[in-house]
Amino acid sequence: MYRQGDVLIVPVEEAAVPASAAALPPQQRDVRGRLVLALGEVTGHAHAVVGPGELRRETGPFGAAWLHLPEGGRVVHEEHAVIPLPRGWYRVVRQREYVPGAVRYVAD
Amino acid sequence: MTSIQARPLEVAAQWRRTSLATAPADRAGAEQGVRAAYRAAGLAQPTAVLWFDSPLQAAAAALLLGGGAEEVRAGPGGEAAEPLLDQAAIRLAAAGVRAGGASVREAVRTRPWEQSRRRVVEQVGAGGWAELWALTGGELRPQTQALSARIRTALVDRLTSSAELADDADGDLRERTARAVSAVRLALLDAVLGQHDAPWLAAFDAAGELDGLDGLGGPAEVARSAGWWWPYEQVVLLSERPTELHRDEAGRLDRADGPALAYADGFALHAWRGMPVPPDFLTGLAGLTAERIREEENAELRRVMVEYYGYDRYLADSGAEPLHRDETGILWRIQLPDDEPVVVVEVVNSTAEPDGTFRTYWLRVPPGTRTARAGVAWTFGVTEVDYHPQRET
Repeated sequence: MYRQGDVLIVPVEEAAVPASAAALPPQQRDVRGRLVLALGEVTGHAHAVVGPGELRRETGPFGAAWLHLPEGGRVVHEEHAVIPLPRGWYRVVRQREYVPGAVRYVAD
Repeated sequence: MTSIQARPLEVAAQWRRTSLATAPADRAGAEQGVRAAYRAAGLAQPTAVLWFDSPLQAAAAALLLGGGAEEVRAGPGGEAAEPLLDQAAIRLAAAGVRAGGASVREAVRTRPWEQSRRRVVEQVGAGGWAELWALTGGELRPQTQALSARIRTALVDRLTSSAELADDADGDLRERTARAVSAVRLALLDAVLGQHDAPWLAAFDAAGELDGLDGLGGPAEVARSAGWWWPYEQVVLLSERPTELHRDEAGRLDRADGPALAYADGFALHAWRGMPVPPDFLTGLAGLTAERIREEENAELRRVMVEYYGYDRYLADSGAEPLHRDETGILWRIQLPDDEPVVVVEVVNSTAEPDGTFRTYWLRVPPGTRTARAGVAWTFGVTEVDYHPQRET
């Protein structure tokens, strides 16, 4: 698994990707042609994948995101070093913080 | 008329900017949208269009037109709401408005809404609509909805003082409060949310449903130009947009030195990382001490105080001991009186800042956490055993 700031990228077997997730529409790329895994609202800084591949995001605040990189790729961010990823499937997890009675997401 | 545009993400980005806009309303544009909406609904044009600085002022006028004002005056917040209702009454009288007629929200907004949706689904199928929604409104909705819900709660509270109702309040006070609250909620049901309707409008826009001024084109034009609005048979009440909107990286209302959301008339919401706080609370934290934090009885406010003060300072000042230390970070526990302990994991960024230092940050984890690794693993929803990143930046 790989961590870039508040995003964890966990390799998974293709068979582990639920069929319901595989049927989701792939996320569109941003204007720079990247797949945005997580976006900072104020700075606009993004954890993003450069290279061919698809991201499928389940809906809802706790929905998982599934990343397929048929040829591998790189995860970039304005404030973090690049992480090269081998080809394969990944589950993308956003970091959260404990709040008594609730859970909230972290943004770095 | 419906045609799926090639770039739903760009359409969504435009509507996102619209939903966050704080510029003064484009009043001419909004009024043109209102006229188009009435025309499209087959209604006679309203005889009066009134502008207000905030949804609070507009809601006061809506209470007068809709008949809920008496319940509000009779409620526990009646005295506080009185000046607002009086001002609204003067505005309505000056415009020659005696009655507004019935709400026409259904005709100008909901019906074209349903027609547009039916048309899009007929063309692209339920799956196509779900796909379009995921790319547009689905992205915008969580935050826009959270914001309008917060505004709605604040409006109810300002007009009824319901938040101050004591647990041991007597039955009569409870009853009067409940009646006032439901009167305000009813008045708010007549509102169209203008810029805060952006999620749905983004989906319809991407489907080519907003190209003209028929159907939803009118309401969309109002949304691009103004804040909340109340359409009645004879009168339209329109609110300006907020003048201030401050959010954190996660999109939550957040500001330490002033209101996170404010309108020109002073109607405002204060929040710290999304958590609502009283107006003077954050500015009053300037000389905060660890002792004052311990003395705060409200657990939510105490949590805000610790974050504001800084976990690092608080840990040092309160003589906290590290519970556990490993290569993922340090686990700390802070005991609080009459509350569960605050357990935080201290983590160091793996990528250096431009000045060569490494930023340290603290994440609160469940109180039963035993090791630093278990804490960090929890923040990513994986188990301690599984959490072994082969690369971190």
